[in-house]
Amino acid sequence: MAIKSLHTYLRQPVNIAPLVIFRIAFGALMFLSISRFILKGWVYNMYILPKMFFPYYGFEWVKPFGGVGMYIVFALLLIASIGIILGSFYRISAILFFVLFTYVELIDKTNYLNHYYFVSIISFILIYLPANTNFSIDNKLLKNTEVTLVPRLFIFVLQLQMFIVYFFAGVAKLNYDWLFEAQPLKIWLPAFSHLPVIGGLMEKEWLAFLFCWIGCIYDLLIGFFLFNKRTVNIAYFFVVIFHLATSLFFNIGMFPYIMITITIIFFREDFHIKILNILKRLCKHSRIENKSTTLFNCGKPVIIACVIFFAIQFLLPFRYLLYPGKLFWTEQGYRFSWRVMLMEKAGTAFFFVKDKTSEREIEIDNKHYLTYMQEKMMATQPDMMIDYAKFLKKEYEHKGFTDPIVRAQSYVTINGSGSRQFIDDTVDLSKQSNSIFKSKTWVKSY
Amino acid sequence: MKFKLLVTSVFLLLLSCGKKNKNPEPEPVAAFDKQAMLTNMADNIILPNYNAFKISLDSLISAYNVFQSSNAITDFQRVKQQFQTAYLHYQKIDLFEFGPAETVIVRMNFNVFPTDSAQIKTNIASNSYDLEAALNLDAKGFPALEYLFFGNNRTENSVVAGFNSSPNQKAYVSAVLNNMFTKINVIINSWNSSYRTAFINSLGTDVGSSIGFLINQMNYELDYLKNAKIGTPLGKKTLGIAIPDKCEAYYSGQSIEYALQTLTLIQQTYSGGNGVGFDDYLDHLKADYNGVPLTTQINNQFNAARNKLTAITGPLSTAVVTNASQVDAAYLEIVKLLVLLKTDVPSRLGVIITYQDGDGD
Repeated sequence: MAIKSLHTYLRQPVNIAPLVIFRIAFGALMFLSISRFILKGWVYNMYILPKMFFPYYGFEWVKPFGGVGMYIVFALLLIASIGIILGSFYRISAILFFVLFTYVELIDKTNYLNHYYFVSIISFILIYLPANTNFSIDNKLLKNTEVTLVPRLFIFVLQLQMFIVYFFAGVAKLNYDWLFEAQPLKIWLPAFSHLPVIGGLMEKEWLAFLFCWIGCIYDLLIGFFLFNKRTVNIAYFFVVIFHLATSLFFNIGMFPYIMITITIIFFREDFHIKILNILKRLCKHSRIENKSTTLFNCGKPVIIACVIFFAIQFLLPFRYLLYPGKLFWTEQGYRFSWRVMLMEKAGTAFFFVKDKTSEREIEIDNKHYLTYMQEKMMATQPDMMIDYAKFLKKEYEHKGFTDPIVRAQSYVTINGSGSRQFIDDTVDLSKQSNSIFKSKTWVKSY
Repeated sequence: MKFKLLVTSVFLLLLSCGKKNKNPEPEPVAAFDKQAMLTNMADNIILPNYNAFKISLDSLISAYNVFQSSNAITDFQRVKQQFQTAYLHYQKIDLFEFGPAETVIVRMNFNVFPTDSAQIKTNIASNSYDLEAALNLDAKGFPALEYLFFGNNRTENSVVAGFNSSPNQKAYVSAVLNNMFTKINVIINSWNSSYRTAFINSLGTDVGSSIGFLINQMNYELDYLKNAKIGTPLGKKTLGIAIPDKCEAYYSGQSIEYALQTLTLIQQTYSGGNGVGFDDYLDHLKADYNGVPLTTQINNQFNAARNKLTAITGPLSTAVVTNASQVDAAYLEIVKLLVLLKTDVPSRLGVIITYQDGDGD
């Protein structure tokens, strides 16, 4: 019964304006983000400079193109974002954007960020949404028709996706360290004690607690208040404050601005219609006579696909329960779960390669093979240590070592605890499995 | 940025007011004065060290000029003395590779070892070289001078005779000295004119902040001590086979003294000498290391490393072959110190250990 009424609800025709505004805003933000990424030299630092890359399990076949190739990929991403903004060759642009963006992210898990994962998901959803059927180059040139109504589902999937991000970021904060130790904010906030006006408060312990609890409650509840038509405006006000505060304190680049902008998908449709009309006037968009109000198909298969898609996202954050050990320590099942700014973890790892014939060992200078970012990430993440060990094994086989044994001494600190030994330093890491179906028993228990 | 700051400030003030009325703080402790720490670092460590180095380099240059005209062996002995003083003082500035020193690239221009003796000979023979060329980075600086002054197992007499018979060699030493002289003056002038102000007013902990620079370079220097000065000669990268001639100051046999000086400088940077330093900052934050104050743990580790380094017998180049276990013991203590300085300290202070900006999460 409830399912049936939900289905009816989702099939209700609503104005397409929110979808069109979302398309333009997302495309524009991506254009800015990608440009910024290129201008900061990160294409070179992250995808051309490194001597090795850390692929994801199951995606080891994903390799970077050489120097020019990577810049071509990023140029295509810029072109695809323009395609999305203008709604020209929209579907091809959306597919191109999703495929290339995800490709870039899959090259090296050093660069994993929840917000990149988010961008991949959104661009994936956009492939299926007819966001180019109104105020777009496609509908002007190809059909000269204009769609004004779409099933509510098309707006709802985007809203639900945003909801998931917030809600699971909140669920992730429901842990002892965050709630009862105020970690890691108790470490991060005092670093801002020099700020004008508010600096003096930064070292106060209660402030860290206050921020932790507000952050947690905010994340858990904001999605509900955004969904509610009566509270959406005040909720949005908090969205703006919250993201501006995080962008002030943390080095999180474009993410706050992306969230602030696209959260407008929750606004009532007359807001979007107004904006769209303004845009149309600015662009001297001539009226299109052939109005089509035909609903897109929103039958069972579509609903089932949506259910599967979101069910996966609801389950992924809990997969860590299948692994033994403390999640923050082992990081098995940590990624793809909206665990954002959740811990202060740092480490130092020394790698050793032993030649089996001579029984002699050398110490590796990590800087020689890894970028600073890669070394830093690798030192606290067991799956990256395996990748690195396997790389070193190959490297030293080429250098004439027989059956090289690769081991590591690693020390890690988490949320201000004293650093302690992270992994068993006798284990040959190059022989360990990186399968997500096996737990990494050589990580010391916390 | 201004707007962001304003919004956040108002927001936080509102929060703080609401909270304070209910729950008055018993005794407000002042926030840590990062500017005082940086000012101490600049005025009592960095600038005095630069000036002391410059004075020692000036003395070396004048001693060398005296020798150039006199050709006397006693004047040459004085050159060697001044050289060792200047090289030792150099160890007190090596760490500060940020700001002006980063522009000048001090480490690469002053102290690449082992030096390339073949390249030095070629340069001297041709009497035509560009010391700014990348090719000559390992044919200049202190290691090149050391090679020319302390020679390859040659007697003092024969070294002096070599100088006297080769105007090219004399000119080469002058050029190398002048190259360092120019660079150190650029750095000191830059610190005095504007960089000091910028340095003590950069109070964040992110990439490119003064605290970020200090922490990162402290670790770079310690890593350099561990690898280049001790580990490599000891054979850590060559299957345990020692390479004595990769020691710093191989010809003059001062490797351990210089290594100790490097350790001293790292400790000085960490503790702020007699003034406010990172140790005070960590104590202020009540940083804990599995039950003891982190600063106690670090001080103990500095002492352990120093003791083991001091305990090494004889020049390092001999010790790595005949007393490898002594060197290895020092190496292990340096590694432990590195873990503390590279992992615990930045993590506790919220400093990002990287030279690369990123998008964060």
